Amino acid sequence: MKNKKSLYWLLAMLLGLSLVVAACGGDEASDTDETDNTTDNTEQNDSTDTNDTSNDSDENQSDSNEPKKGGTMVFGVDSEPEGLFNWAFYGIVTDADIISLFDEGLIEYDENLKPQPNLATWETEDNKTFTFKFKEGVKWHNGDELTVHDWVFALETIAHPDYDGPRYANVQTIEGAEAYRNGEADSISGVEVIDDYTIKITFDKARVNNLTNLWTYPMNRTAFEGIPVAEMSGSDPVRRNPVGLGPYKVENIIPGESVELVPFEDYWNGEPKLDKIIVKVVDRSSVLGALENGEIDFITVHPSMGPQVEKMNNADLVTYPGLAYYYVGFKLGKFDNESLEIVEKYDKYANKNLRKAMYYAIDRETWIDAFFSGYGKPVNRPVPSAHWIAADDSELNTYPYDPEKAKQLLDEAGYVDVNGDGWREDPNGDEFVVKFSHYDVGDPQYEARAKALTQYWNDIGLKTELDMVEVNLYYEMIEKDNPEIEVFYGGWGTGADPDPSALWKSDALWNYTRYDNPESDQLLDDALDIDIVGTSDEKRKDLYVEWQKIVNEDLPMLYITELEETVAVSKRMGGMEFAVSGWNNPVEWYIAE
Amino acid sequence: MLKYTLRRILGMIPMLFLISVVVFTLALAMPGDPFSGEIDPNNTDPEYIEEMREKLGLNDPIHVQYGRWITNFVQGDFGKSTRYKMPVSDLIAERMPNTIFLGVTSLAITYILAFAMGMYAGRRPYTPGDHFIGGFNYFGLAIPSYIAGVFAIYLFSFQLGWIPFQGSVDITLEKGTLDYWISKIHHVITPAIVLGLLSTASYTQFLRNDIIENSRKDFVRTARAKGTPERKIYNVHILRNSVIPLITFLGFDIVTLVNGAIITEAIFTYPGIGQLFLSSVTNQDYPVLMTLTMMFSFLVLLGNLIADILYGVVDPRIRLD
Repeated sequence: MKNKKSLYWLLAMLLGLSLVVAACGGDEASDTDETDNTTDNTEQNDSTDTNDTSNDSDENQSDSNEPKKGGTMVFGVDSEPEGLFNWAFYGIVTDADIISLFDEGLIEYDENLKPQPNLATWETEDNKTFTFKFKEGVKWHNGDELTVHDWVFALETIAHPDYDGPRYANVQTIEGAEAYRNGEADSISGVEVIDDYTIKITFDKARVNNLTNLWTYPMNRTAFEGIPVAEMSGSDPVRRNPVGLGPYKVENIIPGESVELVPFEDYWNGEPKLDKIIVKVVDRSSVLGALENGEIDFITVHPSMGPQVEKMNNADLVTYPGLAYYYVGFKLGKFDNESLEIVEKYDKYANKNLRKAMYYAIDRETWIDAFFSGYGKPVNRPVPSAHWIAADDSELNTYPYDPEKAKQLLDEAGYVDVNGDGWREDPNGDEFVVKFSHYDVGDPQYEARAKALTQYWNDIGLKTELDMVEVNLYYEMIEKDNPEIEVFYGGWGTGADPDPSALWKSDALWNYTRYDNPESDQLLDDALDIDIVGTSDEKRKDLYVEWQKIVNEDLPMLYITELEETVAVSKRMGGMEFAVSGWNNPVEWYIAE
Repeated sequence: MLKYTLRRILGMIPMLFLISVVVFTLALAMPGDPFSGEIDPNNTDPEYIEEMREKLGLNDPIHVQYGRWITNFVQGDFGKSTRYKMPVSDLIAERMPNTIFLGVTSLAITYILAFAMGMYAGRRPYTPGDHFIGGFNYFGLAIPSYIAGVFAIYLFSFQLGWIPFQGSVDITLEKGTLDYWISKIHHVITPAIVLGLLSTASYTQFLRNDIIENSRKDFVRTARAKGTPERKIYNVHILRNSVIPLITFLGFDIVTLVNGAIITEAIFTYPGIGQLFLSSVTNQDYPVLMTLTMMFSFLVLLGNLIADILYGVVDPRIRLD
């Protein structure tokens, strides 16, 4: 009797448990269902998205014309900041996002990524010597007035031999920076203070991108007084009490979880409208729930979350052009890190028609819809469309999805199935297997999207094997030209300056495909040569377009997609605008409710 | 007893040394270093990476790096975090209060629940109440803490709005005020329950089974025959014997107080030692990784020692010497 009773109990428990388990399982299942459904109608979603700027203006119209004052905005970030809250020392995007709320630079970039005056204007005649004029009366959060000495202080900190941040490349080009760094000089000879608001910077030579490359963020001298450069990155003015120039100032920091910002009354460029901005770190698993509940007003979301945000009643999904492109690269050679040259060429993927065929075989539209919820578009060049040097698609091969053409190209190139096993052999009749590698961070979606690519190549008769490699090992293997890596997936971000030399020149370590084409190198050099392009952006663009035509034809990598940036903005927020250069000045933001 | 303790403490030294060698080698054998992984070409350049590797000695052979690390370590210099760019000791000191607070709360909840449920179930075995507690416990044992964490946030924070979904305190409150402490408790309570779920379940079951077993023993029959009240038999005679297996865990509980909870802390964005450890592994922040591993190893050894000593305190029959 007793046994029977306990058996019932056990059954009841099991039933209860399975219900709970089913509930969790069901949740996930419906999640994937949702994404599946939305992939079907992403076309429509997309079209609504592209009108996002109009969406924004909608918001503004509906909530009267006058921005309201007051309220607390919760600004979400989905990874833990390192806590290096200074432009000169930060290392990751999360920190940079937070800094941009309370500090700003001498120049800013407009929607075409062209520099515009912010705290200073500049003049130059020869692109070698620049004279900067600072705005007068701009105040730091601690009450000091901004002068050129704060900028000199920043430049000298970065050029200091003990400096441990990554920004020296932005100071290196100033005349005398190298000597200062080696301890041969007490100051940087190319930096000449004329008065408190005027400064002359001389570069070691004239370049077209001297200005965009230059470090333009001053540092408050009094805050860092008495702190040796070697200890600055861990010091209080960086980690606990940062002093900036922006519309909000840091009130309180709880490391690893939140930052409190309050308005700065003496801000030079308008009156901040929010009472408070609270930055909260949100674990990725709670981002959607927190948005839905109105716990956060703004957060950057992964494209795969986009459709769910679009369905929310209290938040909008805003998309804006991104600056990154994703590619499938071919290892074409081996690089020697000492002599900085490509010392060996591989011929497995040397046949251009093979690479082209692999390109035609990929249905990029479908792939992007499936794995990025459609928040991206195919790209045919290693330059994101938003960049001013981007070549128009009409000047390039667009490589549309065409498996028949792919097969035909392979036939012509001699990759045919000679032994009847269903897979193509190489022109010598030997077995040919494409070895494709993708990085693995533990996200099952990555493997799925890599598998999808191998499927496209299998479909045209190229036998493809997939290798998922742990992300740290992956990049190490790629950088060191490990023979295990043959065809690989990757992505690059591009900055305000369009120069792609660091990723494409044959003497660059990060030219991972080991693409070696003197013509391409020459064009990239010419585009930076002041004697050839002068100060004309048009001439410079023409050279870059020429270069894009070459790499679009040569295909050392298959350019797959450029993704849109996707952010979720609460419906109660007003005044937030986004462009390729990021969000607008936080001084414009307000809570409309 | 003292001699025994000293002997055990001395015995830890070679063990810690061996642990440090193994962990250091394994950590450095991990592919990559703090500067590898995905590269943002706008934010860094190859020269800087090479220079930093040289500066931090990452290009040296592994035994040279170990030698340098251990020399500094025994002198109390734990190095500087490559990720946070601040001394490791400061970093740990910054996170430790949170972790201890979470650990103590979780332990208190665990003990209160486990004793209450275990004693109830042990005294009335095979009744519906016992089965209910048993079912609850197996549920607690079966559900992984990351699932429990996500569900707790979804249910109690997003659906019911009872608890905050992230952080350790409301940043707008003034430090030290009563509201500040209430907010801290408010933030810690759910992660503490989630963290304590597993140990509550196992402690309850241990206690229950032991009480049942002891209640059939001769000394209990004698006590009953003498007319000792049932309450006293259970709460004094049996409980004292049944607590012994739990003592084994007490040593380890002290360790978990300080170790933090890797997954729970990450899900609740609760900045403690567990979260720090996780980020030091993913970012290959060797100084933090090594210091924390050594700290954890030392505490596990210490926890074992405490458990062994406590045995003797509770049960004079197994006094060591």
